[in-house]
Amino acid sequence: MRNKIKYFLVLVFLLNVFKGFSQFDPGTVCRVENGKTYFRIDLRWNNDQKKELTRLFDLDSLVLDAVYSGKKEIEVKNAQWKMVKLNDHLVELSKVIKSVPVKPTTVNDIFMVDDRWLNIAGEAERQSVEYGVNRFTNIAVFHYRDGVAFFFLPGHKEAKRVFLSGSFNSWSTEHTPMQICDSGWVVSLNLKPGKYSYKYIIDGRWVNDSFNKLKENDTDNGNNSIVYCYNHIFRLRGYTSAHKVILTGSFNGWNENELSMIRINGTWMLPLYLREGTHSYKFIVDKDWITDPENNLKRPDGSGNFNSVIGIGDSIVFRLKGFRDAKSVVLTGNFNGWNTGELFMDKYQDGWQLYYVLGPGNYEYKFIVDGKWTTDPANPSTTGSGDYMNSFLTLKANYVFQLDKFPDAKVVSVAGSFNGWNPGNFIMVKKNGKWIFPIYLKPGKYTYKFIVDGTWILDPGNELWENNEYGTSNSVLWIEP
Amino acid sequence: MEAKVDNIVGNFLFDTGAAQLVLNSTYFRKFLTTTGGEGTGITGSTGVTRHAQIKILDVAGLIYKEQPADVTDLGHIENRRNIKVLGLFGLGMLKGLEIVIDVRHNELRLYRLDKTGNRISIHNNEFRADVTERIEFYHNILFVKVKIGGKMLNFCLDTGAESNVLNSYAPKKALSTVTILRRSDLIGTGPGESEALLGKLNDFVFGEHQITGMQTIITSLDALSSTYGYPVDGMLGYDFFEKGDICINLVKNELKISFTKTD
Repeated sequence: MRNKIKYFLVLVFLLNVFKGFSQFDPGTVCRVENGKTYFRIDLRWNNDQKKELTRLFDLDSLVLDAVYSGKKEIEVKNAQWKMVKLNDHLVELSKVIKSVPVKPTTVNDIFMVDDRWLNIAGEAERQSVEYGVNRFTNIAVFHYRDGVAFFFLPGHKEAKRVFLSGSFNSWSTEHTPMQICDSGWVVSLNLKPGKYSYKYIIDGRWVNDSFNKLKENDTDNGNNSIVYCYNHIFRLRGYTSAHKVILTGSFNGWNENELSMIRINGTWMLPLYLREGTHSYKFIVDKDWITDPENNLKRPDGSGNFNSVIGIGDSIVFRLKGFRDAKSVVLTGNFNGWNTGELFMDKYQDGWQLYYVLGPGNYEYKFIVDGKWTTDPANPSTTGSGDYMNSFLTLKANYVFQLDKFPDAKVVSVAGSFNGWNPGNFIMVKKNGKWIFPIYLKPGKYTYKFIVDGTWILDPGNELWENNEYGTSNSVLWIEP
Repeated sequence: MEAKVDNIVGNFLFDTGAAQLVLNSTYFRKFLTTTGGEGTGITGSTGVTRHAQIKILDVAGLIYKEQPADVTDLGHIENRRNIKVLGLFGLGMLKGLEIVIDVRHNELRLYRLDKTGNRISIHNNEFRADVTERIEFYHNILFVKVKIGGKMLNFCLDTGAESNVLNSYAPKKALSTVTILRRSDLIGTGPGESEALLGKLNDFVFGEHQITGMQTIITSLDALSSTYGYPVDGMLGYDFFEKGDICINLVKNELKISFTKTD
């Protein structure tokens, strides 16, 4: 019996030793005491475990390197760390928690405890969406045709009032009442192609669409249902013996699995929403990559092959006058990832031109004439300077920055939250004695300033401004949806 | 909350962390009654609260006339959430009322109370509470007692905060029950460089009722405590409010919770 206990104890001991080699429990790594953070680090952790440690606790790799080299006092980026050896392989790292500085305090400033970091901790920033496909489990609950979207909420016949609320009506709780019908509630409304989020309000209760598998986190109130109003159908006739046809393109990063086409009456089809602009694509027919046989517009992909190209929205003409003797002129810009081998311009009587579809937005571009990069001589709007100067183009501008003072200034630019506060980036143009800069901005809040010959000023024509963290102020602009 | 202030329509944040009515200076600079310090115009100092008088304020059917208000810069709230914020609507605005916060249904219900603190309308059923706790006011900020790791702590209630917050100088016994999940260096745009820790509250008791599954930010609240002249061990934010329906009775000075039944 005594032997058994002995064996048992030895076994427990061995297990613990064994565990010690690989143990990495994030829950026990860090603790807080008396305003200090303590990290207990096992020097035997492997690279993956170290990586995980850095990821979870935002520890600078310089700090970790110093720990592994046995330093007792570590200073990295103005932070003082202390290291204490607990045993052969266990060390404890500690540091005073830097507190959130509370500004000269009014009672209401105190809640500035910064929660931006919540975003750092995983919530991806919402980006403007390139494309989308709906995922309804009941196809009757949503239709979109000719600009009219039809929503159907089955059941809930006992409800007194039902509203549809979403990004299309600024989440109004009253704008869009639904009508009762035989089997539920219906409403139709005019919507442009795009992505929308929505919920139903049934007798004051917010619910998402249970027949819609596309959901997105809403910061306030659980999940919103997501719907796309389509603007294009991809079609591939024939290939009836193919097992599988996939649509792939620049819009989904050339994903080879995601967008399966459906065969209907001998044609492979896929309706979807595509953002305005120019997209390249191909079909993958049972692993064979082919261009669209019914689309004549094909462009080189830069590595010797061709892609089919489709434009959604209005096309604009890029023109470069003269250079009739040049062998080739290529258009390149941020709209095609500065690809230098794709957009070969066509010769016309006065020079070179290319029709290209771009959605609303701000674009930078250059022409490459026989290998030599040049800005567009016909366009006075530029960004940057020197070799980094690009021509700047705004399509469907929804705002014009204006400054009607300082007519004698040499250089006036606008900088703000929309261009990373870069003062040399958006150079304003003088027109009829006013400095102007047309721009496309997505709905939301922007802060900005003008820079007149090197001096930063508020927009004198805008009475909205707020203080900034440098003790000065910024002009405030809201672009309404 | 949608509200109308002297014909300007927009959103107000209901913020138990705010004392009264606070207006965003970006939109209400013209309303300032005290002109001192405004002369410089362009620079305008931060953190200074000035005052204004509002003729008519209409919030959810509650009408306030000749209402005094603080005016301060709320740009940081706007910038973080990208919503237009006309101001904050503090608890002091709701004296004599009972407030029910139902986060899950995105609802804020207000009830008029009689002198003894009971709802006036007979159609309004009383709030069914799982827990009732006393609240204390200090500078119009609402405080409740909570227990973490067996230690009784002073927490203020803040509907405006997105997360709970625990003071990094809280008693060792309390902090030792928190599992630290993450840490993040906040490299801010300004001089306000700081760091935050995210932890899981393993032993949180509110009025004899154990609440599980809540997270908290851990940071130093000493500056806040000295502002109040009252020790603040932490704040209860959205994480707490989503645990159930919260009812604040501003006559009886009680906080009640009806927990959401989880399956």
